[in-house]
Amino acid sequence: MSRLVAIIMLCAAVAHADTAAVSNEAEPDPSDQIVGVSLGVAVGGRVTPGGLRISGHYHYQLSDHDWFDGRATFIFGGNSPECFRDRMDDVVCDHGLADGQAGELSANIRRFFGSGQYMPFVRAGLGVMLVRFGPDDVTGIAFPLHAGVGLRVLLTPAIALNAEAELEVGVGAFNRGLGAEPQVGSSIAAGAEFRL
Amino acid sequence: MRMRLASLFALALVACQDSDVSREVGARCSDNSECDERCLAPGADWPGGFCTVHCEVDADCPVETACIEEEGGVCAFICFADPGCAFLGNGYSCKEVDARGGATKRTVCRGL
Repeated sequence: MSRLVAIIMLCAAVAHADTAAVSNEAEPDPSDQIVGVSLGVAVGGRVTPGGLRISGHYHYQLSDHDWFDGRATFIFGGNSPECFRDRMDDVVCDHGLADGQAGELSANIRRFFGSGQYMPFVRAGLGVMLVRFGPDDVTGIAFPLHAGVGLRVLLTPAIALNAEAELEVGVGAFNRGLGAEPQVGSSIAAGAEFRL
Repeated sequence: MRMRLASLFALALVACQDSDVSREVGARCSDNSECDERCLAPGADWPGGFCTVHCEVDADCPVETACIEEEGGVCAFICFADPGCAFLGNGYSCKEVDARGGATKRTVCRGL
């Protein structure tokens, strides 16, 4: 009798171990890192660059809902001279909504709401941006604050699409006697993300 | 909190303010590269230099400017008295000149 009980317990233990192994293979722990790329349009004006906006992202999971979001962003806008000397002999720049070029590195926090296939999120961060308006020979360094909202759509466990709109406010320091100038812009973008 | 709001308001104001002059008409200049089209060189006629555009009739000129018979037809700011030219700085006053074509007169801001 005791031998029968021992055999039954052994079989149960083996069966449990098999189930656990199968379960582990079917649902591997998701990675806490994501890379992505997005394409969009940035709107600027005066000495805030605007135009085609391309970003590369790296995301690292900090908690259940919060992710670090590091970005390298490039803006490619028009190239027409828009600066002049006013009657006080001060340089004034009046660039359009989509003028200038820029490269930016930014550190952001992205917070997701809810879970599932469709995940809305908000994002906030700070960047350092090199800005250039070539025809006017105007160059500057800007420190924009970013605030955005977006939606992430999971296509597969490893691939997602996202769309996002953001506002940007900051200050920049420029040459040609322009000095400190406000940075006010916005953008919309869409892209893809890949879990590592 | 009030100071922060005031600072934000000031920032927005600076971001939105416009100049009276532009690369098209009125900016200071020393050569054509500083203007959209052409620079009337600094001198007694146009102190500090004056960006302008070619015209044949008033309709060719931006708002608040008129086409005058100088340099083959250029746009200049319309005025009614000398204080109306103060925004252009020292040396500018309100003068009566020939309109483009010479048939009528216009009062515009210019030097001398």
